[in-house]
Amino acid sequence: MANEKTYWNSLEQLNGDQAFLETAEKEFKDPIPVEEFVGKQEFDSNTTNRRDFLKFVGFSLGAATLAACETPVIKSIPYVMKPEEVYPGVANWYASSYMDGSEFASILVKTREGRPVFIKGNRDSNITKGGISARGVSSVLSLYDQARYQAPQKKEGGETTWAELDAEVMMKLKEVAASGKTIALATNTIASPSTEAAIKTFQDAFMGERSVNEYDENGEVVGATTITASSVERYTIDPISYSGMREANAKNFGKRVLPNYDFSKAKVIVSVGADFLSTWLNANSYSNQYTSRRDPDGAWMNRHFQFETNMSVTGSNADVRAAIKPSEYGKALANLHNALAKMAGTSGKSFEIDNDNNAAEKIQQAAKELWAAKGASIVVCGSNDPNHQMIANEINNLLGNYGSTIDLNKSLNLSQGNDYNLSQLTNGINQDRVGAVILYGVNPVYNAPAASGMTEALSKVGLKVAIAERPDESTVLCDYVAPDVNFLEAWNDYEVVTGEYSLAQPVIKKLFPAGTRQAQSTLLRWAGAENTDYYTFLTSNWEKNIFTKQSKESFFKAFWNTSLHNGMVSLASSSEVADGTTFTSGASDALASISKEKSDGWELQLYTKTSIGDGRAANNPHLQEMPDPISRISWDNYITMNPADMLDQGYETRTAQETPAHLAKVLAGGQEVTLPVVAAPGQKRNTIGIALGYGRTEAGKAGNGIGQNAYSMSTFKSGNVGYGVTGVSVEKTGETYAIASIQTHHTMMGRKIVNETNVTTYKNVDRSDKQNGWNPIPVLKNAFGEETPMGEVDLWSAQPGIARHHLWGMSIDLNACTGCGACVTSCHINNNVPVVGKDEIRRTRSMFWLRIDRYYTSDADPNKNDGEKNYSEMENPSAYPDAVFQPVMCQHCNHAPCETVCPVAATTHSDEGFNQMAYNRCVGTRYCANNCPYKVRRFNWFNYNADPMFTDVNPSQDDLGRMVLNPDVVVRSRGVMEKCSLCIQDVQAGKLQAKKEGRPVKDGEIQTACSAACANGAIVFGDLNDETEVAKRATHGRSYALLEEVGTRPNVSYLTKVRNRSGEEV
Amino acid sequence: MTLLGMHFAPRFHATFFALLIFLLIGSSAGMAQDGEKLFRANCASCHKLDKKLIGPALSGVTERWESRENLVAWIKNSQEYLETSGDAYATALFEEYNGSIMPAQAVNDEDIAAILGYIENPPIAAAAPVVVGDPTTTSNDPDYSIYWLAGFIVLALILIRVLFSLSKSLKRMNAEVEGTEVKITSYFGSISKWMGNNKRASLGISIVLLVFVLVQTWYGAKGIGVYQGYAPEQPIKFSHKIHAGDNGINCVYCHHSAEKGKNAGIPSVNVCMNCHKGIEEGSLYGTEEIGKIYEAAGYNPETAAYDKPQMPIKWVRIHNLPDFAYFNHSQHVIVGEQECQTCHGEVESYDYPMKQYAELTMGWCINCHRETEVKTASNDYYSKLHQQLKEKYKDDPERKKFTVEDIGGLECAKCHY
Repeated sequence: MANEKTYWNSLEQLNGDQAFLETAEKEFKDPIPVEEFVGKQEFDSNTTNRRDFLKFVGFSLGAATLAACETPVIKSIPYVMKPEEVYPGVANWYASSYMDGSEFASILVKTREGRPVFIKGNRDSNITKGGISARGVSSVLSLYDQARYQAPQKKEGGETTWAELDAEVMMKLKEVAASGKTIALATNTIASPSTEAAIKTFQDAFMGERSVNEYDENGEVVGATTITASSVERYTIDPISYSGMREANAKNFGKRVLPNYDFSKAKVIVSVGADFLSTWLNANSYSNQYTSRRDPDGAWMNRHFQFETNMSVTGSNADVRAAIKPSEYGKALANLHNALAKMAGTSGKSFEIDNDNNAAEKIQQAAKELWAAKGASIVVCGSNDPNHQMIANEINNLLGNYGSTIDLNKSLNLSQGNDYNLSQLTNGINQDRVGAVILYGVNPVYNAPAASGMTEALSKVGLKVAIAERPDESTVLCDYVAPDVNFLEAWNDYEVVTGEYSLAQPVIKKLFPAGTRQAQSTLLRWAGAENTDYYTFLTSNWEKNIFTKQSKESFFKAFWNTSLHNGMVSLASSSEVADGTTFTSGASDALASISKEKSDGWELQLYTKTSIGDGRAANNPHLQEMPDPISRISWDNYITMNPADMLDQGYETRTAQETPAHLAKVLAGGQEVTLPVVAAPGQKRNTIGIALGYGRTEAGKAGNGIGQNAYSMSTFKSGNVGYGVTGVSVEKTGETYAIASIQTHHTMMGRKIVNETNVTTYKNVDRSDKQNGWNPIPVLKNAFGEETPMGEVDLWSAQPGIARHHLWGMSIDLNACTGCGACVTSCHINNNVPVVGKDEIRRTRSMFWLRIDRYYTSDADPNKNDGEKNYSEMENPSAYPDAVFQPVMCQHCNHAPCETVCPVAATTHSDEGFNQMAYNRCVGTRYCANNCPYKVRRFNWFNYNADPMFTDVNPSQDDLGRMVLNPDVVVRSRGVMEKCSLCIQDVQAGKLQAKKEGRPVKDGEIQTACSAACANGAIVFGDLNDETEVAKRATHGRSYALLEEVGTRPNVSYLTKVRNRSGEEV
Repeated sequence: MTLLGMHFAPRFHATFFALLIFLLIGSSAGMAQDGEKLFRANCASCHKLDKKLIGPALSGVTERWESRENLVAWIKNSQEYLETSGDAYATALFEEYNGSIMPAQAVNDEDIAAILGYIENPPIAAAAPVVVGDPTTTSNDPDYSIYWLAGFIVLALILIRVLFSLSKSLKRMNAEVEGTEVKITSYFGSISKWMGNNKRASLGISIVLLVFVLVQTWYGAKGIGVYQGYAPEQPIKFSHKIHAGDNGINCVYCHHSAEKGKNAGIPSVNVCMNCHKGIEEGSLYGTEEIGKIYEAAGYNPETAAYDKPQMPIKWVRIHNLPDFAYFNHSQHVIVGEQECQTCHGEVESYDYPMKQYAELTMGWCINCHRETEVKTASNDYYSKLHQQLKEKYKDDPERKKFTVEDIGGLECAKCHY
């Protein structure tokens, strides 16, 4: 084997921990919890004797029989006037847009009988090309959230009416305007031309003369002038700020913009702390641009360097990763710049950085490769410090990337927030210039840095009004709340990238028609506008401003209908001449500032998870349940720390249910949180990481009290919010805390599960080479030493489907899988998989039909001299390992071990390759789960949709939450086994469509939930017996089956991960 | 792609109604010189004698027109007449009905004369609608024979008890008279004594009883959850016989989603209104049941406008498959080319109430899948599979057809997922 890496999937496994290994060997660790089913107390106080028991049995049998004889009366109520396009049982799809304020995706929404049940990315989108995150996929559930505002609110008196609210708010706003004070309208990033127009209308309604103070340099009032302006002042505040990046571009290019990156053109990518495959800026686009260049058989394969503190999703995909401290981001960039400057023949400035994992050499290597790929590379930086961003700009300019991979003319309109607005707003309030604050889509009480003093300032404002869909920490303090509608109930438009217009349309009637009103209509109403209907406002705005930009369609109606049907229209003229943006270097100032940055004690890096993001969707239980791709922990945030540091300090490094984590108190920037410490190999030594978006207190029953809020710890220096904090104290409290980790109970114990190689070996060595083969085919040796490939060994006769009509299968390209987890939530929503909550996950009873295993790699020799396994030695390199991801679902084996052991034939094989599961036949022996080598069968321990234990976490326990259930898939009951069906409901529907049209099934026509969610093309589904993409992949040299040596012959196969490495790197 | 916003009623143009009813009722009437028949065939979809419908009421029409020739010309081709004649009355009429023209009628002068004759002298309407049969009794009453049997058994047991006590009393009396001691045994005692004496017979009887009980239990248990013959009362006494049978309306005219998706669908009220805007009186219940449609649709027959609140009709669902079984109508109707009657019986002969014809058990489904041939010939989807199966069974002379079973129609996950 060329690949001498050993994979293990938890530190317990790595360390060969005895107690862990014992429990890990068992599929079900705990004895069956009978007392939980019947209630502990009732169980103890049970006095039923045998005779009583027989009486009960007899009575129940009789009662059940009698009840069964009664014909249930079921009402069927047809429409009175049926809409033309709605047929009961037939899904309608609508193109729309998902934009939560920080993340954008063009989406297709599936509706059944007028209610949205599923969201997938729109592959025809010019912007995201189908890319969507787990947050986007699961946003369909947030629509049906009971916690949403259902009526206008007033601080005194609770619920009120729109008439009363409008009258009082309008009167008070007029009073404020008349008094000469301003009305602060604080919004999230809007990026919607028509919403901006509505806001403009609102501002114009408060136009008037007012006096403005004049200040001297010290901020002292020196006089006053009278100006004619709107009393409404805009403040744009984002929870996760990119303000520093905009500021750097303002200094370098003279415009406060974010550029549009094209990662598909970049041969070398260097990222310093930017998690661009998961949460950074427009990651939904970058992710599929990036993976389109990760094919080792393609014309070229990009090379990716990552320098970061925490192991991020992006970092785990990198070819070269170096862990650096948050205080070294600027220095690493400066060193990179210096190395490149030398090659360009100028000079730069170099800094000392901690070199415990060869960061210095890796920077030099990156510089060399960047220089070789001039004009076809990208350097990005995740820091919000303008000085860091200016160095990154300097490097990109030096490399000539502007105009090739980075487009400043077509700017990215996400993350428009300006951190200076934070201090401007607080100053305005504190100096009594602001008479009213309108919060629209912002939650500063929760997510402004403590140092900004926002919370105290807000409490002083005379009139606080919120326009919000759901309660949050800020709206509960407001005097009035005007409920907004969900994005699936609303009309809207977006211009996320200049010239690319997207539309959002309502796909359901308002769930709370009387109590909610679209925010834009509310603003128009308060502006006293004649027309307050946002749909007509939107269309007339499009007719006036957007229709006129194009010449293809001559009638607005046709233009509008086409745009609405497609969900977008591209009006970016390719002929647009670059506007001659000139680069003004700001390197000397930036370097001067960087030279002042000092490492100080423990350092904290605040980051966002792909599941929870900035925390606004914290009440969505699917997102809480989704494990973090790296830590594999759900329902919590925690302190990530390098296991080497943890051992030094005596922390528990294991996350199994028997080994609760230790709590630590973190003090940063005067703020304190107490969180469990979790081992994170790859984390820079002497640093910790904490995820933002947790610790919500007003999110709703599922989101409240999960983890701790770390926003307050972010720094607030020179106007910009910083997410790297130095001088942090970390103190062990001595208490323990149980965390729910999904990974330690799905071990694959040292076997070659994820096959990985480097590109040199891949190109030069035969896959089955005896010495160095990178994808050997497992063979079975008989007593005579004859070898037979496992694929030809048969205990049973072949399944009839193998050579017949359809053989449905899946291929998963581990090179294209970034581990983002969108497929996981997509699977859950499409298949009615229940949310089980933290406690059940902790007890190894998660219900994931599809999980993404994460394995750390190490270069240690797995064998001792005496032939024993060498687990303890492998501890050493684990400080900075690689990580790989592997989505695992039911492998649909053609020789399925589960099928042969089912005593009631509840799981059987189909002629089309499916391993079928008939829930109503299942009696719950769980033999199948015990016999499954992939551990993909999940047992239903409770009636999650009815049991009061799960009321807080399971959305399908109330009438609203149930509306998201897929009506084509049953909701499984307690006591049955369930598992991935390869979305057989969609396969059947796709086949039926082909049959009705009298044609064969087309490749790509049928998508499973996971393949639909994966725009990276990692997951491909199709017919293995046809000329399809999946059939091509299944016969590719990189293809292998999971645990092929067991001989299960799965219909799911994997493509070997090939990293772009020569094999000789440092 | 609009989401909502259906304005159904205005779209229905007069021509559409005319064409529709014309097709439904058929054209055989044109042959007979019977004014009433001709009127019904050609005019009734838009006109009534005494009331405005889509077109004006026709009573006294001959008096309203200037001349009979003008009227005949108008009937034959109203559009042409409008354009050429310049008749003020015709123009006024055209404007009164919002510019919708009466389609040219394929009737000759004789027909027109017959129709006008009928309009002038309509026969006196029957006082009450003729009731065909008794609509309230249905053939779906529960089977009472089991109760009769039980009654008889109870009666017989009482009789036996009485006879026994009679015989006992007689014996006692006899003993008293004769002065002898009689040993009186209890019933059980006497039965067990009898059984002791007749071991074979009692064994036989026990076996027969046991088998009877077991067989009854088996069939009883099999019947749990099977609602064959279920015919609940419905909010409207709708007769499939009148609609599908007598008037020959195609099943999928009303149950149109049977061709589209998994549900056959109960027609929405607007579908009823397509015809019942014109047909205000039924043959069985007069205006009572049809009035319920108007109430649901919010339609006011007096003003011919939808000016009242709508109220959905709450039908009682008859065919209830359990939630864990997936069934798709379009699969069977379009792909399998099955007749509706295969599963629903001769619905065109069912009067009110509609009943469940089939068992709808899994065994019933499976049996059909075993026997039904797949329509491979006309469907390219199956061509590859058909070739493969032909190759596989080429040496099997018994093999005459490919059934649903052969293409995996008995697999669990075809219906359960």
